[in-house]
Amino acid sequence: MSSSLPKIAKIMYRKSAPYLAHVQSRSNVGRAEDKVVLKDVSKNYLKSGSSGDATLAVKSLNIAIKKAEIVSILGPTGCGKSTAMNMIAGFELPSQGEVLLDGKPILAPGPDRAVVFQQASLFPWLTVFENVVLGVKCRGVSPDTYYNRAEHLLDAVKLKGFEKHYPYQLSGGMQQRVQIARALISEPEVLLMDEPFGALDSQTRLMMQELVLQLWVEYQPTIIFITHDVAEAIFVSDRILLMSSRPGKVKLAVSVDESKPRGQEFLTSAKFVELQASLLTALKQEVH
Amino acid sequence: MKRIPPILISSATIVAIFVVWFVVTNGGLVGPTYLPSPQALFWSFMRLLTNGYQRTPLWEHIGISLFRALCGFLLGVAVGIPTGLVTGYNRLADAAMSPVMAFIRPIPPIAFIPMVVLYFGLGEVGKIVLIFITSFNYAHVNAHAGAAHVPIAYIRAAKTLGLTPGQIFRKVVFPAALPHIFTGLKVAMALSWAVVVAAELVGAQKGLGFMISDAAQVFQIPVVFIGIALIGFIGLALNMVLSAAESSIVHWKGR
Repeated sequence: MSSSLPKIAKIMYRKSAPYLAHVQSRSNVGRAEDKVVLKDVSKNYLKSGSSGDATLAVKSLNIAIKKAEIVSILGPTGCGKSTAMNMIAGFELPSQGEVLLDGKPILAPGPDRAVVFQQASLFPWLTVFENVVLGVKCRGVSPDTYYNRAEHLLDAVKLKGFEKHYPYQLSGGMQQRVQIARALISEPEVLLMDEPFGALDSQTRLMMQELVLQLWVEYQPTIIFITHDVAEAIFVSDRILLMSSRPGKVKLAVSVDESKPRGQEFLTSAKFVELQASLLTALKQEVH
Repeated sequence: MKRIPPILISSATIVAIFVVWFVVTNGGLVGPTYLPSPQALFWSFMRLLTNGYQRTPLWEHIGISLFRALCGFLLGVAVGIPTGLVTGYNRLADAAMSPVMAFIRPIPPIAFIPMVVLYFGLGEVGKIVLIFITSFNYAHVNAHAGAAHVPIAYIRAAKTLGLTPGQIFRKVVFPAALPHIFTGLKVAMALSWAVVVAAELVGAQKGLGFMISDAAQVFQIPVVFIGIALIGFIGLALNMVLSAAESSIVHWKGR
């Protein structure tokens, strides 16, 4: 632990691009309108096989996300962005600090925070329809309610006619659309997306990003979007939090003032290009 | 050159074996007490079909062996799969069971024969108990492995969907473990069939194992070979039934 301290200090004081606002390391997070709050959160993992030596994944992380806001957590591989998401989802607990949902600490996963995973997490023994309705069915929602919702959602994610297919019969993009439908069917207040389109080709990815924004217009969930792709972060977000490399901290926060839904033309706008340039510069300092 | 269909090559192998067999037995290269000729075996088989062996019809020998094997197999599977899933899913159950299972697993089932005879006698119960031990062992270890290796993404997805631990066990862990379970079923089936034959070698009055050991003692060598062949064909058929069930139930395997 003590031997890693100088390195942490170096990263903490690394200068970011001057034209972007610095993020205070200890801000006043946790106001009433905030949906999700991370307050001075640190997370360390014990290294297997060593005597009490720990890896610090994130350190003094302060994040506040407003209701119905779309926030991207952007950063290089290993910056702790997935750790942050795992703590919000309730898969992991913070070593220090608090992770709050509506002011209450998050202790376990739950249907109020739906997750779209990067890897295949659809159940291969269930059809598309069965995958989408499994959660609501198990929680005792009446079939009359979930049946209509499922039909509507499958239509919205353009999977009508594929209800009886199995996940392995679908393309990667279609599988992710099933995941989105499965996540939205419980009408969650928070939607966590962990590099959901990382494995897709760029054309499909753009279509998926547009779909997310269209669905946001209808369902208005708070979306936390984990990505390492600068263009993706700008395209889908209201706000981007750029994380430094390990131990992860929010290095800078950028707002994207653009109405939603957004179309392909936004990708070539001056605002987009400018944001992309500055974020790429800032991100470059974090990649080694 | 045209591609030769695999079925033709397989058939050619079978034909070749019969030709070699016919030549060496009829040419006097191998005596009939060591290896009967194909035609001698055929006529012995016909006699077995009409007269049976030791006043018991052939189908009864087959039937009693199958009955013992399937009873032991089904009982072992019925206990082995649920307990394997529980020990694979639950850390405490695993810690409690693993010393016992780790000790029992490497013991060959036939090593239990003397004690099973002592406890249960030479009747049906002893044989079925022996096959139960065999089948339980392999059903348990594979179900355990299946439940212990459910991808973390499945468990996490189930938790965020709001499934209770019981629902996760029934609706996620169990189906996710099915490919492993079927591997266990196939091994358990093959060994149940092997152990029933071994168990019938001692103190049985009926069954294919009894038939081959009894026939060997009175030098009815064709009957021994017919018994061996029947054991082989039935074992193959049992495996094929399970494989067919596997490919229809675990349709997602390997995709």
